[in-house]
Amino acid sequence: MPGTKPIPATSGVFTDGRQAPKSIKVSKLNHYFGEGELRKQALYDNNLEVKRGEIVIMTGPSGSGKTTLLTLIGTLRTVQEGSLKVLGQELHGATRDDVVRLRRELGFIFQAHNLFESLTAYQNVNMAAELAGMDRKVANDRIEYLLARLGLGHRIHYKPKSLSGGQKQRVAIARGLVHQPKLVLADEPTAALDEKSGREVVTLFQELARDEGCTIVMVTHDNRILDVADRIVNMVDGRIRSDVAVHETSVICEFLRQFPLFADLQTSTLSEVADKMMVEDAEPGDVVIRQGDPGELFYLIRSGHVDVIVEHDGDKKKVAELGEGQYFGEAALLRDEPRNATIVARSKCVFYTLGKADFKDVLARSKSFVEELRTVLASRT
Amino acid sequence: MKTPLAWKNVVHNKVRTAVGVAGVGFAVILIFMQMGFKGAVRKTATQIYDALEFDLMLRSPLYLHLTEPSTFPRTRVFQAASMPHVAKARPFYLGLSEWQRPQRPDSPAGQWQGDWRGIITIGVDPHDPPFIPAELRNKAAQLTDPRFVLIDSKSKPEFGPVNGVQFTEQDIGVETVLGSDRVRIVDVITLGTGLAANGACVANIEGFARACPWQPLDEVNFGLIVLQPGVNAATAKRQLQALLGTPTTSSAPSAKPADVEVLARSEVVAREEYRWVVQTPLGQIFNFGVWIALFVGVAIVYQVLSTDIANMMGEYATLKAMGYSNYYLASVVLQQSVLLALVGYVPSLAISWLLYRLVGAHSGLPMILTWQIAATVLALAVLMCALSGMAALKKLFQADPADLF
Repeated sequence: MPGTKPIPATSGVFTDGRQAPKSIKVSKLNHYFGEGELRKQALYDNNLEVKRGEIVIMTGPSGSGKTTLLTLIGTLRTVQEGSLKVLGQELHGATRDDVVRLRRELGFIFQAHNLFESLTAYQNVNMAAELAGMDRKVANDRIEYLLARLGLGHRIHYKPKSLSGGQKQRVAIARGLVHQPKLVLADEPTAALDEKSGREVVTLFQELARDEGCTIVMVTHDNRILDVADRIVNMVDGRIRSDVAVHETSVICEFLRQFPLFADLQTSTLSEVADKMMVEDAEPGDVVIRQGDPGELFYLIRSGHVDVIVEHDGDKKKVAELGEGQYFGEAALLRDEPRNATIVARSKCVFYTLGKADFKDVLARSKSFVEELRTVLASRT
Repeated sequence: MKTPLAWKNVVHNKVRTAVGVAGVGFAVILIFMQMGFKGAVRKTATQIYDALEFDLMLRSPLYLHLTEPSTFPRTRVFQAASMPHVAKARPFYLGLSEWQRPQRPDSPAGQWQGDWRGIITIGVDPHDPPFIPAELRNKAAQLTDPRFVLIDSKSKPEFGPVNGVQFTEQDIGVETVLGSDRVRIVDVITLGTGLAANGACVANIEGFARACPWQPLDEVNFGLIVLQPGVNAATAKRQLQALLGTPTTSSAPSAKPADVEVLARSEVVAREEYRWVVQTPLGQIFNFGVWIALFVGVAIVYQVLSTDIANMMGEYATLKAMGYSNYYLASVVLQQSVLLALVGYVPSLAISWLLYRLVGAHSGLPMILTWQIAATVLALAVLMCALSGMAALKKLFQADPADLF
């Protein structure tokens, strides 16, 4: 696909082909701090899409701009350049009223609990429910449910002074969730929590995402909760370095593992390989590779079916049909030979491709490379 | 029912609230005292008039205030008496004389310690003293001899009461010198001293002439007119003024004498108050004191509120992030400040009431805690706290939710 920017395979863009509504759409977003000569760019040309109901974890070293991006999404800073749509509202040039209205649809969980010392746990949570104008009874039930769910059922009417750090943080989490926000922005929500209550919190996040379609974006360094992420966004120096759909990556890893040469690779290596793969697609009838051409790419079929056609002495013969999870194109790369077959798409196909250099680089790490190579070659006719 | 956040904040942090309440209380008590003093000035300036029986008053256009009344010819009083609506027209003498502190009965001869003090001396006719209180009238009836005086119990201790504190019945019979002649205290009255003098005494007219020999008796200080029942004071005043001529301070020859001003009772009181509260520095000092107290109160309450806001910056910023408007946050802080004002006001009212009594008893000033003063101070306290609250809002608006992440 000349002319278009290659899309990483792990972005999950092509998964199921389902175009779920986007909670967040960031495009060409730049942000600067300071004025005049002291002006310093904090975000460079960021693009990000987050679907409704997704749980996104943002990682990256401090100063990488992830917090800046989070505050921009949370309407807490003004968008300077580029476009940022949150829940359908364009924030670049949004009015104060738009922002205040939007804020009531958001739930914030900050690193510091920021609870009013003068109010009980219940009353603190209720501050958010009141603002949303929730029905008294509904609000009451939900506050009690959330606090009980977070293990504070017996401390509903305690003031923050009588609660431990972790308990206070859980009250703050309940406050961020009580008004059924469509988007929750959380900064290290589990940092102050022990493993068990941290787990309880993320399980609750998952339930909200599943049952209420609540989108959750959190900044965290807590490795214990990475598994709940649908997507992991890694930022470095104000740029999104990788934006990985976790499920899609695991699918790719499973596929790759079925390739005998990669079978003994560790998951971490496989996911690195997955990161290097790009998306290609084909319409029915398209020739993906042609026999006799030099081999440059290794192909993994994400969806669709292809025919393998070998041309021998001007006689075209279909030798196989490949489907989802199967691969082709490796032989030419291994032996530095031209393609030994032609591949034609039978239906609309999506492939994940790996470049020759990356492919060889991975192979070099495989201990059983030589034997595997023989097996592979032997199994091919 | 919305969460009463302001109230909760005030109730929760007891130490800070106590400091705030103490600050408000301090300022409020200061304001109370200043207003009490001002009220006392007002009251003191007119309390001798309050004891006098008159509907209209004749006095010189040169009258300045009670102790500098100037004089006018006594005939004007008799002229006024000829008017059909006038029931009584009485001359009233009042001047400053010198009172010698009485010698203590046990002090040895040759150790005379009588200091001289300026004293208001009033001259009345003992047969028909122009006083309203019956007690005063009865006591004034005893002034049958020019050597007899009534001493005001509100006179300061330096006038030499026997017990060293206040003139009481113990002082009856004590002899001392008024002006240049010996007098004897025949009774003690309660009149109230003016602001220009620390003591007052009453003698008969001849006694007054002895105490103030520079004033001939056909020159009087006041003419006290009592009208027939049912007569309109304003009409009578106009008729009387027409009879006596338009007052003027110029000495140009005129067909009418024009040396007397006729005033209704309310005018007398109003002018006297204006004189002391507005024209002399005395009232201004207390007005100024109110401003100072307000300023001190604003500073203290601002300090308390802004510390409170600074400590809750994260919480307020969180509320902002949640979508609470600046308007809501401002209303919380202002409610808090008004609550401080109200909580601080109540005990201060009680303390001030005690202080009024204490100061009144000690200084002889008529310190009266009227509901007008109480209401004014309450309004000022609320205003004071609201001002500090508004000053503290600036800090609140700086709460930036972007700093929370």
